[in-house]
Amino acid sequence: MATTTRYFAGPWWKRQDFRRTGILWLILTPIIGYFCSEIQVAAMGAPASEVMATTERLMRIFTWAASPVAAFVAAMAIVSLLGKRHHGSTPPPDSEDVIETSPKSIAVWMVSSALLCLFALVVGMIAIQKDNASLLDAEAIHVNVTGQQWVWNFDYPGDGGVRSQVLHLPVDQPVVFHVTSKDVKHSFWLVQLGVKIDANPGVYTETAVTPNKIGTFDVRCAELCGLLHAYMQNKVIVQSKEDYEKWLASQPNTGVTTWTEPGAAA
Amino acid sequence: MTTTMTHTAPTSGHTPKVGIIRHLNVFTAFALGIITAIVVWRLALAYLPENAETAVMTTREDKIALLSMIGWFVGFMTGIGALVAPFRWVMGKDLSHDENMFLAGKDMGVKRYFRYTTDHKVVGIQYLVITMVIFGIGGILAMLIRANLGTAGGGLIHPQAYNSIVGTHGIVMIVGTIIMVTGPFGNYIMPIMIGARDMAFPRLNALSFWLIVAAAIPLIWGQFLGGISTGWSAYNPLAGQAPLGMDGYIMFICIFALSTMVAGANITTTVVRMRAKGMTWNRTPIFIYGVVASVALALPAFPVFFLSQVLSAFDRALGTSFYDTANGGSGWLYENLFWIMGHPEVYVILIPAVAALMEMAPVFTRSPLFSFNIAVMGIAGISGLSVLVWAHHMYISGWAPLLNTPFMLTTELISIPTGMLFLVLIGTLWRGRLWITVPTMSIFALLWNFMIGGITGIYLSDVPADAFLHGSMFVTAHFHYTLMGAGLTGALASLVYWFPKMTGRMLDEKLSWISFWFVQIGFNVAFMGMFFVGLQGQPRRVEAYAAIFSKGNLLTSIGAAAIMTGMLVLLAAVIGSWRSGVKAPMNPWQAKSLEWTVPYPVPLENFETLPVVTEDVYGYGRKK
Repeated sequence: MATTTRYFAGPWWKRQDFRRTGILWLILTPIIGYFCSEIQVAAMGAPASEVMATTERLMRIFTWAASPVAAFVAAMAIVSLLGKRHHGSTPPPDSEDVIETSPKSIAVWMVSSALLCLFALVVGMIAIQKDNASLLDAEAIHVNVTGQQWVWNFDYPGDGGVRSQVLHLPVDQPVVFHVTSKDVKHSFWLVQLGVKIDANPGVYTETAVTPNKIGTFDVRCAELCGLLHAYMQNKVIVQSKEDYEKWLASQPNTGVTTWTEPGAAA
Repeated sequence: MTTTMTHTAPTSGHTPKVGIIRHLNVFTAFALGIITAIVVWRLALAYLPENAETAVMTTREDKIALLSMIGWFVGFMTGIGALVAPFRWVMGKDLSHDENMFLAGKDMGVKRYFRYTTDHKVVGIQYLVITMVIFGIGGILAMLIRANLGTAGGGLIHPQAYNSIVGTHGIVMIVGTIIMVTGPFGNYIMPIMIGARDMAFPRLNALSFWLIVAAAIPLIWGQFLGGISTGWSAYNPLAGQAPLGMDGYIMFICIFALSTMVAGANITTTVVRMRAKGMTWNRTPIFIYGVVASVALALPAFPVFFLSQVLSAFDRALGTSFYDTANGGSGWLYENLFWIMGHPEVYVILIPAVAALMEMAPVFTRSPLFSFNIAVMGIAGISGLSVLVWAHHMYISGWAPLLNTPFMLTTELISIPTGMLFLVLIGTLWRGRLWITVPTMSIFALLWNFMIGGITGIYLSDVPADAFLHGSMFVTAHFHYTLMGAGLTGALASLVYWFPKMTGRMLDEKLSWISFWFVQIGFNVAFMGMFFVGLQGQPRRVEAYAAIFSKGNLLTSIGAAAIMTGMLVLLAAVIGSWRSGVKAPMNPWQAKSLEWTVPYPVPLENFETLPVVTEDVYGYGRKK
């Protein structure tokens, strides 16, 4: 196939269409990066844990990393659209000085997309590493989570046999959740804390979080689990250590707890 | 087996001898299907012992439901005439020449659209009509979902029915989008585009279409047996406890998977073996690559889907425990099987739609396709990687946390070949002389929608971000941006582009513009709203939501109404133009590919003499 090299001969960067595209690209990149990341993070709300803060940071990083690509495609498309146009029911004459391929631009495009890909991978791997490490935190308290159609039950550490349907957590205290289900698959989602793990019948899955903000947040089920899936939600109350201890002591022994020594459940 | 036919017109006075085939059509098929289903149902009721169940769940009803549906299937396929030719062949007789000509639809009458007709052009029109019907049904279901979500409290529709509507909308639209490009245009246009007289296996072509009709009935039937309250993914063990409607889903998937496999083998063989003389791989239009990549991907994917549902049926009806955790099974097994099909399947939908727009880009910019080789590379790269990414649907399932990183790698790698497709499109638009038509603007719409769908896909591919986004409305918005924003946009552009060749008339320009803007703007409003509520934390598939999600859901409902308006306008345009539109010239777009060299109506075997290809189809403005 013929290659048109003439197009890139000489000072191609001085051409009007290249200049227009370049300027548009420079303008659009920060606009896309800023607005898209800020709107998304605003929608996600104030983080109530380090995990959620990391997730919001990741959303920002990925949006900013993708914005030059999006802006470039947008700039090319806008300049093309504002260029030669033709209306009517018969076609315009063929374009002049057509470019059939351009090894240079292909190489630049492929190398940049490969680098962005590598960047996304590394950023993701670092975050995964952090999440994995938090599962092994020796300081953590362990809470068992049991999903069933259509409520969440939480079993707290200790011999008290405390079970609740509203999750209570002490602030700034690492927690590891051991999650399972009594019937079908559910998905345990602490929304503002940014963690989610599926609750599978017959097995335990783990996730960990350290809430760092006192307040009331949402627990939802994120996997369709039958008739009342939409209503399988409750609250998580993050409170000071003293309040948490007080609450825990005030709870009756239900005698139904599934809580066991950490590790035994898994 | 006679697969190619010659033009030996019967001499006058010769009465064609056509046996039983003459009497078989869609009506005999429905009649025989219904009768067989009823007979099997009564027999099963009479002979399946009651109170003889060993499994925990009652399975007698499942056995009866599944057997009756299999009865329907066998009856329908017999009634349509699918078994005549194989039966004759086994008897050592094969079909006569007259019968083959009859099957090919030699009479060119309207009735051939209601028979087991083997002509690829008839099959293409059949696919076009059934795709429109499927989108109509799926669209109505989507509007019902939006109606229920019109207020935060929901409650307009009973939760069981609502869940079933969500699941049916999902599977109906998935099937609709799978066939929307390769069905109508892959069957009607593709063989002409490569300069062939018909498909490699014309009877398999008819088979693949009528299997879809046969499949549709169990799905509709299932709605009256409790519906599909599990979402389209039908995860076990939820599917195990779902009502008998699940059996309808299972039968539907099994028959549809058969159809896809048959079509995949047929289209792949056709393109590999039957391209015109001189049409080397470098001169084969990019649309052909898209179609082949799509159906070839379905070849490994759909047998797995078939199998996953067969095991599900065993669990339900025979008391096995493939997915039943309580008895040694695993829900993760189902998830694996499902997504081994499920991720290639989204590219089955996407690739031919993007390839169709890449085919149109040179025509409407009057310049060559920018870097054909990169386009082929992009399609091949996506196809290859797409079979290695399925477990990114299972990051948070707890199945294999150690596999999350490798699957994150393969998923993010897909952005490289996807980027190649973007490069090809913007490279073709660049410096082109844009002929402003609906397909041209569809290319811009695709760039916009697919860019958003692609970038949100990067967030989802990242394991920690997915731990927040998974199972939320964000995911729903993401895949609508790719499958609808990119896929459907390509399919609608294909409809405008190839409508003149398929119907002999131009699609009403004014109405198609109105439809285009309604659909595109409505789409972006609807699914931007959905992204927003997803980020706020609204789970998928809920029938009621917290008050903070009201604004985003309102946007989605408004957008959905606009999409519906646009699609109805398009329907009016299609019906109106098909009946009495402006007669189309042979080559209204002055394109260079072979389908524009044949007149309308396209003759039975397409070409008087088979064409010889000497160059590719993108030589606009090329210096000789």
